[in-house]
Amino acid sequence: MAPKLPIANQIRRLRFERGEMTQSDLAEKIGMTRQTVAAIEAGKYSPSLEAAFRIAHVFGVGVDEVFQWTD
Amino acid sequence: MSFREKSAWITLVTVLLSFGVYFGAIVTGRISGHGLSSLHLMLACVIALVVLQAVLGRVAAATTPKAERAMRDERETLIQWRSRSLGYYVLVVLVIGLFIPVHLGHDVFDLANFVLLDVVIATLVVAVAQIVMFRRGA
Repeated sequence: MAPKLPIANQIRRLRFERGEMTQSDLAEKIGMTRQTVAAIEAGKYSPSLEAAFRIAHVFGVGVDEVFQWTD
Repeated sequence: MSFREKSAWITLVTVLLSFGVYFGAIVTGRISGHGLSSLHLMLACVIALVVLQAVLGRVAAATTPKAERAMRDERETLIQWRSRSLGYYVLVVLVIGLFIPVHLGHDVFDLANFVLLDVVIATLVVAVAQIVMFRRGA
């Protein structure tokens, strides 16, 4: 099991607030695989800054609304 | 399962099968590791490996959505880089270890087989590392 990263995210909530967008839909919009979106959402993979901005752009919010540092 | 993970499984299984047959035949003494018979078996195993990978690769592509196999994303690139890095270090250690059979007086045929075995082991390490990282998330 990969160690949980100290970065929380709101992707799951944001997906459901956007008409129950699927992981596949989000993956297609940001040019990634569904498995990578699942890993980001589960906090197992920390995306690059560019990918983080792409995700935030899809939801029309700032990066800080999608990702939070949890120390 | 992503297309890249399927590819890693295909590499693991096909390399294990094809070179398992080759080294199995040598270790059990069914063929000599010093003659043309071993060379012919090795060529047959390499051809079988290529054919198996091509067929299974097509099956993997057919069972994966086109968007997922179109490009390698950043996580897949990271996993590829980490696994190949690990495989490289394993290969270096194994190649350095070749001084042991040299020291023990093995001939050039044995050494060629040891080199081939080192490459096969390093390839398996890369495939297993990729599968583990894909399963863990990254």
